[in-house]
Amino acid sequence: MASHDLRDVLSLPSDQAAGPRPSKKQKINTPRPNLKGLAREVQNLSGDNPISIVPEVNVFKKRRYASRKPAARWEHRAFYNSGRGDDGALVLRHWRRKEEPETTEPAQTVGEEGAESASEGEKKPQIEDSAFSKYNVRVAVPQYSEDQYSSNLENANWTKEETDYLLELARDYDIRWPIIWDRYDFTPKSAPGENVEDESKAVVPASQTRTVEDLKARYYEVAAKMMAVQKPAQYMTRPEFELYEIMQNFDPAQEKARKEFALNTMSRSKDEAREEEALLLEIKRILARTEHFNEERRELYNRLDYPSTDADISTFKGSQGLQLLLHNLMNVDKSKKRRPIGPGDGQSPATAVPGSAASESGPNRRESIAASVPGHRDSIAGTPATPVEPVSAANKKKGAPQPERRKLTTLEEQTYGVSYHDRLGSGPTFRYEKINKLYSHKSGQQQARITNVLAELDIPARLTMPTASVSQHFESLWGAVIKLVDLRKASDRLDADIKLEEAKHAEIAKARAARGDDGSNIQKSVEGGVPNGTAGIASPAASRAGSRPGSRPSTRAGGGDPAPDPGEGQDKDRLSVRPGSSGAHKRSASVLSTTSDKSMKRQKK
Amino acid sequence: MAPPAGKRVKGVQVFRPFVYGTTARPFDEKTNPKPPGVPDDHTHSWMVFVKGIDDVDVTYWLRRVQFKLHESIPNHVRMIEGEKGKPFQIHETGWGEFEITIKLYYVPESGEKPQTLYHHLRLHPYGRTEEEKETMRLNGGEVISWVYEEQIFNEPYEAFYDVLTSGALPIPGAAASKAGGKGKGSAKGKEQEAQRSEGGVLERSAMIPMTNRPGQPFSRETEQLEVKKLQEAMMKVQEMTKKMAVELEKKNQRMQELRAESVKTA
Repeated sequence: MASHDLRDVLSLPSDQAAGPRPSKKQKINTPRPNLKGLAREVQNLSGDNPISIVPEVNVFKKRRYASRKPAARWEHRAFYNSGRGDDGALVLRHWRRKEEPETTEPAQTVGEEGAESASEGEKKPQIEDSAFSKYNVRVAVPQYSEDQYSSNLENANWTKEETDYLLELARDYDIRWPIIWDRYDFTPKSAPGENVEDESKAVVPASQTRTVEDLKARYYEVAAKMMAVQKPAQYMTRPEFELYEIMQNFDPAQEKARKEFALNTMSRSKDEAREEEALLLEIKRILARTEHFNEERRELYNRLDYPSTDADISTFKGSQGLQLLLHNLMNVDKSKKRRPIGPGDGQSPATAVPGSAASESGPNRRESIAASVPGHRDSIAGTPATPVEPVSAANKKKGAPQPERRKLTTLEEQTYGVSYHDRLGSGPTFRYEKINKLYSHKSGQQQARITNVLAELDIPARLTMPTASVSQHFESLWGAVIKLVDLRKASDRLDADIKLEEAKHAEIAKARAARGDDGSNIQKSVEGGVPNGTAGIASPAASRAGSRPGSRPSTRAGGGDPAPDPGEGQDKDRLSVRPGSSGAHKRSASVLSTTSDKSMKRQKK
Repeated sequence: MAPPAGKRVKGVQVFRPFVYGTTARPFDEKTNPKPPGVPDDHTHSWMVFVKGIDDVDVTYWLRRVQFKLHESIPNHVRMIEGEKGKPFQIHETGWGEFEITIKLYYVPESGEKPQTLYHHLRLHPYGRTEEEKETMRLNGGEVISWVYEEQIFNEPYEAFYDVLTSGALPIPGAAASKAGGKGKGSAKGKEQEAQRSEGGVLERSAMIPMTNRPGQPFSRETEQLEVKKLQEAMMKVQEMTKKMAVELEKKNQRMQELRAESVKTA
């Protein structure tokens, strides 16, 4: 409302000033800038004052033509994904930046996968692998060979087939146990013959139901063992060893209990939960109270058994002395850093001591209590501790050797090369010394024979690495070689003996031939007639001959011919000796022994 | 060396692997020139050493080593004191091979008497076959004669036993209690575990490396190879024994026959 309107209403005389006003208004109107974007009516609303809203004028930035590059080229390129495992059979297309010859790296962003493309023709060699194929990873599941299984992984509860099956599932499902358990359906293959015979029998070894824990336990067992096979525990790095230990320590029972517990916790009703909480609180309170109670009791005991003093207390008899004592005791209490002592608390020891002092007022006890006050302080402070301290110290003294001789873990034993033996000669030795001893315990001839055999076997004279296991193997080899050498020796002797015997036969035959033809006939009939008998008689002799080749002639004489008169036997021997003399060196000795043996036997008879 | 107080740990055997041997190189104008002051007739420079496997420290059980060289060499008995982390070694020049006596002196805690090893200094390629010699020749003329050995301590004294069974691994109890603390436990545990050599051998342990490396021919790999070789030899021997037994049986039978014949004819 303008002022002239008011004057109008109040019928005031319109002064001069009133006149030009409307005109003024008009004046204002004309120069008013015509703001764009606003309706005239709206502009008019603002009245005298120019409108304060300044509409924003959008001025677009000028395009910078200068920096403009030619538009990036894109192409619809074919790709495959090696993770599919179909050997690039499926080829899809996606939009990729076209590679300029000089640009090295195309943008790694992968466009949307285009429509399936059927054409693989000429682009085949250029087809790239999808950038996502690297995410196609498989878990590493332990591998084992037949040998390794039989030597390490045997388990009464698991067959090899089932273990294989479990590991296969673990691989297929990336060790996601719930899935593995869900899919686990192992039916042991029954023997083919069994199946035909009886169907009910074939059903009997039906698959046991395995819990997740069973599966896990078996898997971890296999994994841990294979880990140890590949890398003995002492060579594992720390994370490896930790993993190994975790796997080794897996306890299915505990796991089961844990799950059960969790299940219980989760299936509680609200009321039960509340009740449990309340009970827990109650327990806490009870515990706290007992703790408190115990503490109070301990304190009480502390106060009760203040050190009895054999010392002189005459100095405390006077009021000044009492004051001193009180002061000392207060100090003790302070040094003990107990909770602030109330006036009653502070007084009780003070009053107690004078009381006792009064009762045991032996004059001779007085001085030393004053002297012992500093020590006394300690003893009060130490009352809870001192009885414990010496014990623990003693424990330490006794226990000191214990940590030294603490039981080493198997890992430590392996790492430090510690082993336990029943009998040991104490002192330092070298591993190879034992092998050297093997040699030195043999005669020179035998040594030569053995080294020959070893050379034949391409075993070097000195082991390259005489570790425990190598030398153990060597020792067993050594034993076998000795056996072989002995056998060879025996065989050589037998050879000589056979030669000798053959020569003897030839001699006899010659003698027969000289005498007449009848002998050979007899011999033939004998040969044909009783082969069984000879074998039977011969067998004990044979065994003896094998064991004691040296004394063979005598055994033959003893076991081989039951009846013939000794004279003839000796004759034969003499005969046999002659032709054999060229071959057998021990002839004379054996003959001697034969005769002596025979004479002995005769004596026995 | 007076035996330390304490008893021997009964029934316990602790071993430590080590390597000793010689490395020789012929003098050569280019690769191995003769240093001044070396007599004219010397043809090789050589080195004899005793060291831990994979170059780990052995001085915690081996205090010093005495090398007894040939009498013709000046100052032929040399005592080398142990220096932590360094091998015991002697560099010499010469023209002939001979047997070196190596005497090992143990640390005082062990209370053990010194032990003696003998090693033949090799200057010229050797081997059982020409092939072996040839490979040795090819190796820049360097003749290596290294021997792996295990020092066995039977029933060591308690103090020494402690020395031998500590240092490589964190003590389980201590590590566990520290691991109970906040987060620092694992880091401390790592500190407690001794350093590993390049071949993965813990210091102060009896371990041998898993695999061979150049200059470290002794490892689990080599051991396995040797075990395999021995097993194969074992198989062969068993086969031969079996064959021999059969042969022997045959011969025995033949013997029986012959004897039976002679009995009958008699």
